[in-house]
Amino acid sequence: MKAPSMGARLATALGAAIAAVFFVGPFAWLLLTSLRPEGEITEVSLPSALSSSSYANAFHGRPFARVLLNSLVVAGATTIFCLAVASAAAFALAKLELRGKRALLSAALAVSMFPPIATVSPLYLALKEVHLLDTPLGLVIPHTTFALPLALWVLTGFFREIPDELYRAARVDGCSPFQAFRKVMVPLAMPGFATTAILVFIFSWNEFLYALTFTSSPSHRTVPVAISLFAGEHTEPWGEIAAASVIATLPLVIFTLMFQRRIVAGLTQGAVKG
Amino acid sequence: MLTAGVSLAAAAAGGCRSRPPDRENAVVFKHQPLWGDPAPFRDMLASFERTSGVRVVTEVLPNAPDVMHQYFLTSLEGGTADFDILVMDVIWVAEFARAGWIADLSSAFPPEMLRRDLVGGAAESVLVGGRTYAVPWYMDVGLLYRRTDLVPEAPQTYQELEAAITSAQRARPELQGLLWQGKQSEGLVCNAYEAIWGHGGESLAADRLALDTEPARRGISYLRSLVERGLSPRQVLSASEEESRRAFQSGRAVFMRNWPYAWAESQHPSSPVRGKIAVSTLPSTSQSGEPGAGTLGGWQLAINERSPPARREAALALIARLTSLDANIEMAVHYARNPPRAAAYEDARLKERAPYIASLLPMVRQARPRPVTPYYAMVTDVLQSEISAAVSGLRSPEKALARAQKLADHLMGAHG
Amino acid sequence: MKERRGQGYLFVAPSVVILFVVALCPIAMAVWLSLRRVILVFHEDRFVGLANYRFLLQDSRFFAALGNTAYFAAVSLLIEVGLGLPIAMLLHRAFRGRGVLRAAVLVPWAIPTVVSARMWAWMWNPDYGLITRVLHTQDVDFLGMPAYAMHAAILVDVWKSTPFVALLLLAGLAGIPEELYRAARVDGASKRGIFFSITLPLLRPALVVTVLFRALDALRVFDAIYVLTGGGPANTTETLSIYSYKTMMRSGDFGYGSTLAVATFLVVVLVSILYLNTIGRGAVGTTEDKR
Repeated sequence: MKAPSMGARLATALGAAIAAVFFVGPFAWLLLTSLRPEGEITEVSLPSALSSSSYANAFHGRPFARVLLNSLVVAGATTIFCLAVASAAAFALAKLELRGKRALLSAALAVSMFPPIATVSPLYLALKEVHLLDTPLGLVIPHTTFALPLALWVLTGFFREIPDELYRAARVDGCSPFQAFRKVMVPLAMPGFATTAILVFIFSWNEFLYALTFTSSPSHRTVPVAISLFAGEHTEPWGEIAAASVIATLPLVIFTLMFQRRIVAGLTQGAVKG
Repeated sequence: MLTAGVSLAAAAAGGCRSRPPDRENAVVFKHQPLWGDPAPFRDMLASFERTSGVRVVTEVLPNAPDVMHQYFLTSLEGGTADFDILVMDVIWVAEFARAGWIADLSSAFPPEMLRRDLVGGAAESVLVGGRTYAVPWYMDVGLLYRRTDLVPEAPQTYQELEAAITSAQRARPELQGLLWQGKQSEGLVCNAYEAIWGHGGESLAADRLALDTEPARRGISYLRSLVERGLSPRQVLSASEEESRRAFQSGRAVFMRNWPYAWAESQHPSSPVRGKIAVSTLPSTSQSGEPGAGTLGGWQLAINERSPPARREAALALIARLTSLDANIEMAVHYARNPPRAAAYEDARLKERAPYIASLLPMVRQARPRPVTPYYAMVTDVLQSEISAAVSGLRSPEKALARAQKLADHLMGAHG
Repeated sequence: MKERRGQGYLFVAPSVVILFVVALCPIAMAVWLSLRRVILVFHEDRFVGLANYRFLLQDSRFFAALGNTAYFAAVSLLIEVGLGLPIAMLLHRAFRGRGVLRAAVLVPWAIPTVVSARMWAWMWNPDYGLITRVLHTQDVDFLGMPAYAMHAAILVDVWKSTPFVALLLLAGLAGIPEELYRAARVDGASKRGIFFSITLPLLRPALVVTVLFRALDALRVFDAIYVLTGGGPANTTETLSIYSYKTMMRSGDFGYGSTLAVATFLVVVLVSILYLNTIGRGAVGTTEDKR
């Protein structure tokens, strides 16, 4: 295979630069704002000095570390449950014999089509009945549910792309469907898993409406609600909000960095040649 | 992976009780975060805990009124007993009282007592049908800020205001005139009512909103004309309080209409206008004679109707403490909150340690409430969009107010 | 070898339970509420049949919101796919720092919407915003003028959601076997040829799902616009979700608010059905169809 030409490489570099500036630029500006000294927060020019006062203030008098942990627990649990439940169903939808496949996928889609605000009140009442208000589980359940449709559709698509022969070969080798699922299908659908994991984690981490309504005590608060509490009645401590947002985004970036390699470790790796 | 899942599940399932034992006998107080050093407020609560023997647990809600309203609506309608004392915007009192979500406090806080002790319209805003449903914690009032280096004397009438702006702009054309909040939001309704009252209008007339009236039309037309004549920059139409404050604080404008909080911000060492601003009552038309009225804002303390009797006693005691004269002064000194008690403004401690707040007495006396009606939440939605249409030139003020009147009447009449 | 029929049901059971119990129950309740007149504050709660829907059909505010929502969704989607696909292809190529760029590109999607919307509002601010300073548009108030405000909101959404599109398309691109490309190059196919005859068709399933879910989100947009303009000025940027939110949570009118939510749902369903039966036809068939 020929090496890419100079023109192609230049085009790639230019494209990468533009993408980086557009998508990361505003975040870089947010980062810059969080490092400004206190008096200069609203200035547009470069800061006179870098200061960590915004970061110190973000934690001062607020249980922000605890909040980060709460979000980690809720988002982590949501991701694991959602992936587990969705992958099992997606596998069956793609490879096993089953009636009502289209009905299930459509029902899942319908759930994704409903404006969340209309579900807040009924869910509140339901969670109140089962005493799950103000608990992490009380958030994990709705989060898992509303992330399930996307996970189902994405994973079903990935499983469907895996040739049937591979599955049948595994069965011929003596695996039960579950073993075939675990040993053959899951590794091959890793790009789908990685992608879904990232999207579900981010969704749960940033979810605000349910987190606000179903959780009230400081010990169970999550990140988006905590950030919304920074604001005074009229004033907005933009430096601290910027600092908190940077801190809140870091786990997501790390999570993504961890998983992004797996997105492209697809059918090209491992034994695909049938 | 499996062990991670199990431990996460265990963590997530923790605390599956309706009220954890340590909160069983505590009074839960839901409020928004107070801006400033949390220590004085904690001390206030701690001293109450010591003297009354009741534990107090505080929980904060975001400072966005819409978000708080939505939370309270969902939880109070859902019959929660998870909190006992809640803090409420002044415009929600009639609504929550009518819904039966907050308790009647008339026995502990008789209406006559409130009318006697509180300043301006503060008492009227918490009385529904002659009964007390909430107790004012702190107040807000709309003020006119001005640059003393550009305008030495406070303008009393709209004509004086405009003359001051014009002469300042002649000397320095890049100056902006009057900054106010024209973004489609509750702030706009406050500005609109101040303009309506300034032109001699009323809020309510015989149980109807007085919108399609001559003074109202003149008031809203006036706001629109400020933008058209360049006396206010175009960006007021998307400005809320913070945008106005920042622009004024960077020295860009001659006048600003805003709440009292903007003063403290502008006195920071790095502020370009430090020491160069003063506040006064809003202007009015010269015919009406009396000074303009600022909109009454502020937050009140109420008790959840579902709170069991045992905790209600304690909650009443806490409210009494938090609204006492001493507490008023503490809130003023440490958190720059305007006291609802008239006596606080005369108090030597306040005059000495928070002179700015003491000086607000004339303005606070003039504070007028927006229409006190259980329909306010519904009606303000209509008001916000119609007034926004009028001030941004999308519709004439006459047409906008006529539409608003029709919709408001329909909403209010439909329930009798 | 024949599969035992029961196997499949076991695998889908957890999903079915979760969806029906947790999701469809609140939705059913919302539908039920839409047939009632429920005003919380006045304790009104009575059955009114289709009266809410009859009112909806002549509610000009609803149609205005519908128009705003449709415009917002169509334009955002077009831009997001138009940008997302080239970016996905860029990220698919091998170059140094690719991993970092992939994580970096996802940052807009990762920042909480309320924060990013406030950030953009700040950048658009006529007095001290970054954009205003750079473009010298001190006299233009973007968020105060109806046409500009909607496009500012679209820009925020594009910035935030293109990474989502790019990520899903990247995963789809990763599933296309390298051999196909190699074989085509050996056969002397041009870049354009390869794209249209190999890449696009094999990417189709991922593209269909991505566009579908992005459309569902765009039609229900709330946070970005609410934070930027609150639906103003004069409700000109009000979308269906904002109208529904205000009706339910400000006015306490759960009956009509639920009707608006159901109407939004029906609009989305209609769009999805049209979409899946035309552009998306065949791309998301189940194994039953393959035989």
